[in-house]
Amino acid sequence: MTPPESASSTAPTVRARWRGVRWIVLLGLVVVLVAVGTVLFGPDQGEARPLDPADTSLKGSKALAELLRGQGVQVDRVDSVEEAAAKGPGRLLLITSTLYFNDHDLAEIQGDRVLVHSFGSLDALAPGVETEPDPARQRSREPECALPAATAAGSAFLGGAAFTGPSGSVGCYPAGDGWTLLSYPNAGGTTTVLGSADFMSNQRLSEDGNAALALNLLSTGKPVTWLVRPDEPPVGRLPGEAGRSVYDLMPAGIPWAVLMAGLSVVLVAFWRGRRLGPVVVEKLPVVVRAAETVEGRGQLYRARRARARAADSLRAGTIDRLTPRLGLYSGADRHQIVAALAVRTGEDQQRVGGALYGPPPIDDNGLVALAGYLDFIERKVSEL
Amino acid sequence: MTLTGRAGLVAALGVVVVLIAPSPVPAVAGVCLLLAAAILVDLVFAGAVRPLRFHRSGERLVRLGQQATVELVVENPGRRRVRGVLRDAWPPSAGASPRELKLDVPPGERRKLVITLTPTRRGDRESVSVTVRSRGPLGLAARQGGHRAPWAVRVLPPFLSRKHLPSRLARLRELDGQHPALVRGQGTEFDSLREYVVGDDVRSIDWRATARRHDVVVRTWRPERDRRVLIVLDTGRTSAGRVGDAPIPLAGAPANGSSGLLVRPDTRPVPGWPRLDWSMDAALLLAALAARAGDQVDFLAYDRAVRAWVAGASRTELLSSLVNVMAPIEAELIEADAQGMVAAILSRAKRRCLVVLLTDLNSASLEEGLMPVLSQLSSRHLVLVASVSDPLVAAMAGQRATAEQVYDAAAAEHARLERRRITARLRRHGVEVVDALPEDLAPALADTYLALKAAGRL
Repeated sequence: MTPPESASSTAPTVRARWRGVRWIVLLGLVVVLVAVGTVLFGPDQGEARPLDPADTSLKGSKALAELLRGQGVQVDRVDSVEEAAAKGPGRLLLITSTLYFNDHDLAEIQGDRVLVHSFGSLDALAPGVETEPDPARQRSREPECALPAATAAGSAFLGGAAFTGPSGSVGCYPAGDGWTLLSYPNAGGTTTVLGSADFMSNQRLSEDGNAALALNLLSTGKPVTWLVRPDEPPVGRLPGEAGRSVYDLMPAGIPWAVLMAGLSVVLVAFWRGRRLGPVVVEKLPVVVRAAETVEGRGQLYRARRARARAADSLRAGTIDRLTPRLGLYSGADRHQIVAALAVRTGEDQQRVGGALYGPPPIDDNGLVALAGYLDFIERKVSEL
Repeated sequence: MTLTGRAGLVAALGVVVVLIAPSPVPAVAGVCLLLAAAILVDLVFAGAVRPLRFHRSGERLVRLGQQATVELVVENPGRRRVRGVLRDAWPPSAGASPRELKLDVPPGERRKLVITLTPTRRGDRESVSVTVRSRGPLGLAARQGGHRAPWAVRVLPPFLSRKHLPSRLARLRELDGQHPALVRGQGTEFDSLREYVVGDDVRSIDWRATARRHDVVVRTWRPERDRRVLIVLDTGRTSAGRVGDAPIPLAGAPANGSSGLLVRPDTRPVPGWPRLDWSMDAALLLAALAARAGDQVDFLAYDRAVRAWVAGASRTELLSSLVNVMAPIEAELIEADAQGMVAAILSRAKRRCLVVLLTDLNSASLEEGLMPVLSQLSSRHLVLVASVSDPLVAAMAGQRATAEQVYDAAAAEHARLERRRITARLRRHGVEVVDALPEDLAPALADTYLALKAAGRL
């Protein structure tokens, strides 16, 4: 037998709770479905990978790679130094990024070399080449040099940085005191340094003589090893002394223990966060001191240094209290009051008159003195 | 449902287990599953909260400053023991304690819990809800649910001035006793005839009665009885201002020293009671005294509408009905409508009576409100205006050491002057005025009433 439901309960039943949240649940479900559908069936728009021979976006270079292949040049895309070295010497190495690579390992690969975006690694990869301090604007430039690859191509979209090279080097596309394309023979072949490689991108390839310049530079009859930035930067996996990263040294249980600790925090948060009953609100009456208006008036006097008004108030208060004590009616004029007061207190009539009806004090000290004197008169009258 | 700290602790122990275990993944899965299973067991075997029944008993009335106890009987008709905590939620100013009560009710039984209320404000306080958290046998999780168990406690004005009542009653009896010796005055009533004794006023000899008898007979008089007193409480904005020191701390007064670091500590004195509460105190003393003196006391609270109206209460019930209607009255933050107030008084008081108007002697609001319509009232009734003066203003007027203090003193002097002027104007209209410090208002008002009675002016 189940006991009858108490009518006093205010906790929502399961059904009531479901009725309350069903629209939110439905909405959440729709959002999740749309998100999953978009990811699964939408166009694959990954992050643009600049100068990647497999990237078809504006910044990629698949067009150039296809052109090279169409001319019978073998293009191999690699994303590590080991792979590049494994291809063997006697090839053309196009280096689009040196961010995650060891410069010295790269420098040991013999053969032709085309360097882009690698200003930090010039010392190792192109010794003797200096970068000009002023950056060069990217624009269409004329070759103005004797390099056949450049003169055949004509104007091209170059800039970014300008270089000066060692003796024997050929500079093209000048910018300022340097050249944005620099070519010189090295031990195993030719090294070409480029200020920028935007002319090789899908976006720029069809303009000017960009395509011609790119093809002239890369199709030298040797197979091309195209080194690109790796898909996933090897964060934290930088080899240590024994070739082992921090993660290799960590016991396998640690990430799981952290997960467990997180769960424990969540449970504790839920324990502390659940309130025992509702927050009770109450309308309280206003709290205002009755003297606030008087204080406000005092502060106004103070702010404006209203000595005349302040003195008037003090005098009026004193006169108001003194007249009945002096045996005068409330309408007595000033001469009567001053005379009676002077007789009563024995003070000089001039001085009493000045204090009660004289001009307002000229400074704060005068006001304090006036207040003190009025007090003195009052005390004297009440003492007698 | 809810969890307890133990669930978090078990999960924290799970961290150690995972670290020690040879293979972490099964360990994590095991700990999680175990915890989930234990929580589920706890929820299933915890006593049900929904079928609980609640019964209340206890006090319904309490004076401000005193404690009331309310009993809550929890009946468990379910099949499992309900063990855990219970919170009876009252508004903060009800001062309910303890906040949480331990609860342990076996199936089919009932337990009584006692809640103590220490109210910090007048008015009606109602219990909002009763929440029960019923723990499972393992103590990892609990069921929680709310119930409505209504109970209201009315917090009455404290009537602190009742300590003045015995001395004023003695004065009243004195008045009664000495009166026959007094010469007949306006408003006194013929009491009886008695034989002349030496020392009696010869003017009170009743010659007609003396002629009928062989003795000289004098008439005696007694103080007037069965007069009417109408106490009118102004509940407009001016009655919200706080004055004096609170004899009983009220809710809403800022706590000293507990303000945050960013807030500049308030060095000004803690606000006392609103004028309204001091006026109520004085009204209660006057009502108690007048009822004993045999007068009929009516009560009206008014700002822009009638907030309370008590008429024709018998002598024994008067005080209780007064405190009952006064309890929920709060000062409204609107300008009182003096014209409406006078109209309400005139429509209610048909016969001549003493109208005691408890308001503030604020020259600005009286000038525009009461003064133009005062003659309507004072021509038909005897009007007595009673007001609480602010001791803070008096203190400000007295401090004159520095220039800043002198400016404040000038402002205070200005305020007092205005007050004296409006008092003088009221007196010229034939209105009695009582202007006293908060603690002195009730006895001063009672004394004025006694003086009026002695003079036979009612």
